Amino acid sequence: MGCSSSLPDRASGRLGGLNSENGAVNDAKNLRVKLVLLGDSGVGKSCIVLRFVRGQFDPTSKVTIGASFLSQTIALQDSTTVKFEIWDTAGQERYAALAPLYYRGAAVAVVVYDITSPESFQKAQYWVKELQKHGSPDMVMALVGNKADLQENREVTVQDGIDYAEKNGMFFIETSAKTADNINQLFEEIAKRLPRPTPS
Amino acid sequence: MSSSDGGDDGSASSGAGSGPVVLGSKPIEDGFSQLRVTDLANGGAANDGDGEAAAAEGSGGREGIAAEVGEVEDGGAASARAGGRSEIEEIGEARVMWRSNSEGEGEAQGSPSSSGYAGERGSSSGGSGIGEEEGEEEDEIEEVRSDAVSDSQAAWMPGKRHVMQDDASISWRKRKKHFFILSHSGKPIYSRYGDEHKLAGFSATLQAIISFVENGGDRVKLVRAGKHQVVFLVKGPIYLVCISCTEEPYESLRGQLELIYGQMILILTKSVNRCFEKNPKFDMTPLLGGTDVVFSSLIHSFSWNPATFLHAYTCLPLGYATRQAAGAVLQDVADSGVLFAILMCKHKVVSLVGAQKASLHPDDMLLLANFVMSSESFRTSENFSPICLPRYNPMAFLYAYVHYLDVETYLMLLTTSSDAFYHLKDCRMRIETVLLKSNVLSEVQRSMLDGGMRVEDLPIDPLPRSGSLLPRLGQGRPVTDSQESLKEAYAGIGGPAGLWHFIYRSIYLDQYVASEFSPPFNTLRQQKRLYRAYQKMYASMHDKGIGAHKTQFRRDEHYVLLCWVTQDFELYAAFDPLADKASAIKTCNRVCQWVKDVENEIFLLGASPFSW
Repeated sequence: MGCSSSLPDRASGRLGGLNSENGAVNDAKNLRVKLVLLGDSGVGKSCIVLRFVRGQFDPTSKVTIGASFLSQTIALQDSTTVKFEIWDTAGQERYAALAPLYYRGAAVAVVVYDITSPESFQKAQYWVKELQKHGSPDMVMALVGNKADLQENREVTVQDGIDYAEKNGMFFIETSAKTADNINQLFEEIAKRLPRPTPS
Repeated sequence: MSSSDGGDDGSASSGAGSGPVVLGSKPIEDGFSQLRVTDLANGGAANDGDGEAAAAEGSGGREGIAAEVGEVEDGGAASARAGGRSEIEEIGEARVMWRSNSEGEGEAQGSPSSSGYAGERGSSSGGSGIGEEEGEEEDEIEEVRSDAVSDSQAAWMPGKRHVMQDDASISWRKRKKHFFILSHSGKPIYSRYGDEHKLAGFSATLQAIISFVENGGDRVKLVRAGKHQVVFLVKGPIYLVCISCTEEPYESLRGQLELIYGQMILILTKSVNRCFEKNPKFDMTPLLGGTDVVFSSLIHSFSWNPATFLHAYTCLPLGYATRQAAGAVLQDVADSGVLFAILMCKHKVVSLVGAQKASLHPDDMLLLANFVMSSESFRTSENFSPICLPRYNPMAFLYAYVHYLDVETYLMLLTTSSDAFYHLKDCRMRIETVLLKSNVLSEVQRSMLDGGMRVEDLPIDPLPRSGSLLPRLGQGRPVTDSQESLKEAYAGIGGPAGLWHFIYRSIYLDQYVASEFSPPFNTLRQQKRLYRAYQKMYASMHDKGIGAHKTQFRRDEHYVLLCWVTQDFELYAAFDPLADKASAIKTCNRVCQWVKDVENEIFLLGASPFSW
């Protein structure tokens, strides 16, 4: 479907399973990380990914089934590149039990809520707890309040987000997939926080 | 309307003197001592009962339904006593009809003391009930009709419409065909129209009907109320109900409910039953979140996709070598631990391979393709999702890797291993490379543009053995003079002898081929009517109660329908209503020959051990 970045990367490694060992395959300058997006349905997980990977925004909502797989590589200022292998999971309840399939072995988890929906903020906290219990302990976790363009409908304050993120050792940011606000920043910040392999 | 064929009526009998039928080479004339003729007298009124007439004629027994009906009758009697406004009518072949009196509507609302079913009616919000609905339908039918026209002619929009409606709104009640899924405690799970939660009262009513009959140790299958049929299907803790005034046969509607149930199992597996064991009042709607579009697209396909009643799949016409090339690379993948590898273009199969002895049921393919095509999410990127194939194993999830290779062509790789994503991704890359190199994808697109078999192209003389459907592969078909003049003689409508359309179903292959629609089937509405007519024929040909028919010839004001069933194939053909019977039969023989001549291109051969 004409989208370059998610087209097959023929050079990519041959690692079995959903989990590229430890989620991060490293040589010092080229990192490859598995990233999983979690959150309630309708908070905009797919929109964030599509904005990041393809620079697109489609206001018609398309319910994600199971999980979509996309990848995008970014270059950091220190000339390292990070290839994100992104699992964009479905927010529907029926897939909750299957989430471990996607987050197992992930190096990064991005937990998304909708700033206009307190329920989705609750759901985000459920996912954070779930990851603390079952995710890998050195996982980089980000808490994202999406739909920041809808200021007038805001029901979750910035402070609430910050407080919860701080308490749980997460990185916090508010984004808008619609206006592209903070989308690239989100992934750049994640990249900076990744554990670097010690050059051997 | 001609009824000149009436003389053959006497010879109509099922299976009389039928020897074993040899592979399609045997011309249809041989079977014609068993031809059953059902010439309809005329017009719409007669239409109503033609299914029954044909069925009753064949032989007496309809034990299955009769037995079921006994119980309904009791229930019905209770209601009749209580409300004093329903009457039960036992018609010839022991189906029960519930009828409201013509003045039923007014009375129904004014009888608060009624009990039994009638009471349930009163208590459901808005006082709606099957009986009243019918009363209203009478004056509104025109409006509904025009609605249906615009609906079917405009492009179909996926997703749930009319969410604001509930059983209190007239527009909701006027819908011709409702589908409901509910739990055994009466909780709504899905409704084709309207918001499920607003339909709680209505759902409870349906549940009450079902459990009332179940309490008597029986099951309710069908209730007739005037023009409406209410069809019930009980699957453990899940109840499915269709309320329809489309005159489709019971067997067809029941088959549609089975598919809807299968679609639900595909999404959730049958282990959802456990939720009801733990908590009978379990609310299942959140589990199906976001799947309205899957169900609405399935229901829509009941009116355009013959696979829904033929229980067979159809292939995209392709040169034999092209399909072989696709099959070979899929086979490689299947040997590496993939359970099924399926390459499809819209709802047509390009190629399909199963590991070792695994075989894929056509209904599973239909449901899987519907699931993938109706969910936009698959089009945006690679996807890895749990799905269940109800006919393969209703209890367990498989994992499906789905990827669109172009706008309409998609690859599905199914596996039992939840860790196989990267392997399947590799497989897909291999497959994609081969398909591109061997031009399979461009051939697929070309075939989509060219279309399939057209009745206008039906060869007059048998083709040489190497016949080809695809002109570019067969170096063009020589157009003979006689063919040209014949076309002119039929004034550009349809094929020889007034042939308008046909469907050929190969029994061993589980596949069918349908001719392209050509004039006079210009609108979706006409196409839908034809499919409904085929569907009715299919049901009557497969009626277990009266034994299998071999042939059926039916004439009404819209067309002549001819159906011919052998051990190897089933042929359904539609002709001009004035078509001559003898030449129609001759034409059917020619269609069968034509299908045989081009079977390499229209069917996937080698998918089953019987196919060569």
